[in-house]
Amino acid sequence: MSYRSSVRLNRRHFLSSVAIFLAAGTSASFARSISGSLPWQALASDPPIQVVPGGWYFFTPQEAATVEAIVDRIIPADELSIGGKEAGCAVYIDRQLTGPFGSSSRLYTKGPFLPGLPTQGYQGEANPAQRYRAGLAAMDAFLKQRDGKSFVELQPAEQDAFLTEMEAGKIALPNGIKSAGFFGLVLQNTMEGFFADPIYGGNKDMVSWRMIGFPGARYDYRDHVTKHNEPYPQSPVSISGRPEWLGKGI
Amino acid sequence: MRALLLTIAVVSAGIAAPAIAADQADTIIRGQYQSVLGDCSGCHTRPGGKPLAGGLPLQTPFGVLIPPNITPDAETGVGKWNATDFHNMMKTGIGHDGVRLYPAMPYPAYTKMNDQDISDLWAYLTTVEPVSNKVEANQLPFPLNIRLAMSGWNLLNFDATPFEQDSSKSTEWNRGAYIVQGAGHCGTCHTPKSFLGADKNSAFLKGASLQGWFAPDITGSMTSGIGRWTEDELIAYLKTGVNKHSIASGPMAEAIENSTSQMTDPDLKAVAVYLKSFASDTAAVQSVKPDEKRMAAGEAVYRDNCSACHGGSGGGAGPLFPALAGNSLVAQDSVETLVRLVLEGSQAVHTKGAPTTPAMPSLAWRLNDEQIADVLTYVRSAWGNNAAAVSSGDVTSVRGNLAQ
Repeated sequence: MSYRSSVRLNRRHFLSSVAIFLAAGTSASFARSISGSLPWQALASDPPIQVVPGGWYFFTPQEAATVEAIVDRIIPADELSIGGKEAGCAVYIDRQLTGPFGSSSRLYTKGPFLPGLPTQGYQGEANPAQRYRAGLAAMDAFLKQRDGKSFVELQPAEQDAFLTEMEAGKIALPNGIKSAGFFGLVLQNTMEGFFADPIYGGNKDMVSWRMIGFPGARYDYRDHVTKHNEPYPQSPVSISGRPEWLGKGI
Repeated sequence: MRALLLTIAVVSAGIAAPAIAADQADTIIRGQYQSVLGDCSGCHTRPGGKPLAGGLPLQTPFGVLIPPNITPDAETGVGKWNATDFHNMMKTGIGHDGVRLYPAMPYPAYTKMNDQDISDLWAYLTTVEPVSNKVEANQLPFPLNIRLAMSGWNLLNFDATPFEQDSSKSTEWNRGAYIVQGAGHCGTCHTPKSFLGADKNSAFLKGASLQGWFAPDITGSMTSGIGRWTEDELIAYLKTGVNKHSIASGPMAEAIENSTSQMTDPDLKAVAVYLKSFASDTAAVQSVKPDEKRMAAGEAVYRDNCSACHGGSGGGAGPLFPALAGNSLVAQDSVETLVRLVLEGSQAVHTKGAPTTPAMPSLAWRLNDEQIADVLTYVRSAWGNNAAAVSSGDVTSVRGNLAQ
């Protein structure tokens, strides 16, 4: 009985929200008719702002050191490329956490907070900025208790072992933080920093693009589509350009 | 237009003198067409404003002039003028009450119009909706603001010779010459000016700078002019704003929208016949090849910013993206328009024949002055183009003017 009434209530709730949404939609009149030329303005642009390394906008120095150490284990310097730290992955994450990503400002962030399916990703209340702050503190609290050291004081092999256990969800971090979930977040953001356009702070000198042969911010290959089994001759280009624009080759 | 048609309908419906009424309607309609040929609204109508009630300020090398209200409003327009006043003004630049006009009003061209066309135009202007809008046309600094000074200017520069038919040429050619030199006042923008602001008739239609744009050479030159355009391509450009060589931008886009796209097909043909009759010079000046480092930098900038639309070899893409190889706008002596297009971007004019309005984005945020100079240097020298290199100072000065 109570189940039924709650369903009915929910449905009424839902229908009335839809009604409110529709009413708001029609009265706000975002739609407009355009005839003749399409709207266009001289000098129009909304470019991303070049991230300049130096200083931390979100992380404390301690947090920054931990994140730099993590990204350098996820992407270690080797014969393929420089490491995640030198590539600027920590700078990328720092700047992202101060922006709309860090505060989830473009996501629905009200409850209910229910455990989701694995395919649904993180379903909790905390935004990424809060998750980094709590997750990094929990990692160091855990390691201090277990090994008497913080993450940055561990040897690289020990760091790898710890991160591997985190990824497998075998570490019981304090305050109910899921180690696999937090590791997944850092891994995701590290890859973004490494592969995103250098304008966002990572992927220094387009290192990852040079490594995998990605041509960058280009959008026309008509001169090359018929040239099968030939490498694409142009070096990658960032939103902010490439060294060749300054008359420099690499 | 609706008011006009209504007037005609009402007048035609009158019983008293239908013949005279019909004549008036014809006169007014002919006069309206003269206003299309003369592109009155190009200057005298503010974008989005009431027709002919006064335009946007014109930046001349001598100072600012504001095109006045030419609706029949008695206080702020030309309501107190009569047909003779108007005729004198068009022929001599001296308006009602002896007020001397500045030649930003192209009376040096309109003086070529015949009496019939001028009186038709006046008949039309008297039917326009009167709008009360006070315009202080003269914003020039002292001493140029003294209108009497223009009597001296006229003595030195003004040639009141009416249009003369050239009997050795076809009727069509003569009609084209009459439109281009007279009502169409093409030379007002496209003919270089002397230091006094008068047309240098020895360089008729050779291209000139005005209002932050360079109105290109439209003579028969194979490099900088329209020598490579066929008559049909020229007609398509004037009618739709686009042909395979070029897409109109800036003030020409406005002239096409308000004037040439509304000209009749026979008149467009006549204009094309006349303009194509100019001698084509093929002796291209061999400019010094720019240094290789700048060409390499320019090519890299071109490849990453321009080639997706304009093609890896400057071939463009049909009517949507103009070819840059062999493009006469690219080869002008002045790079003012080129730099401006790269900085500001541009949108094709919307006409009935070409409604798509493809646009070029602004690159001012992405490229610095050096890079723009390099890419334009490359474009002006690559694929058979052969125009002088561009300095970053050229770009800096255009960027500075746009920022104002």
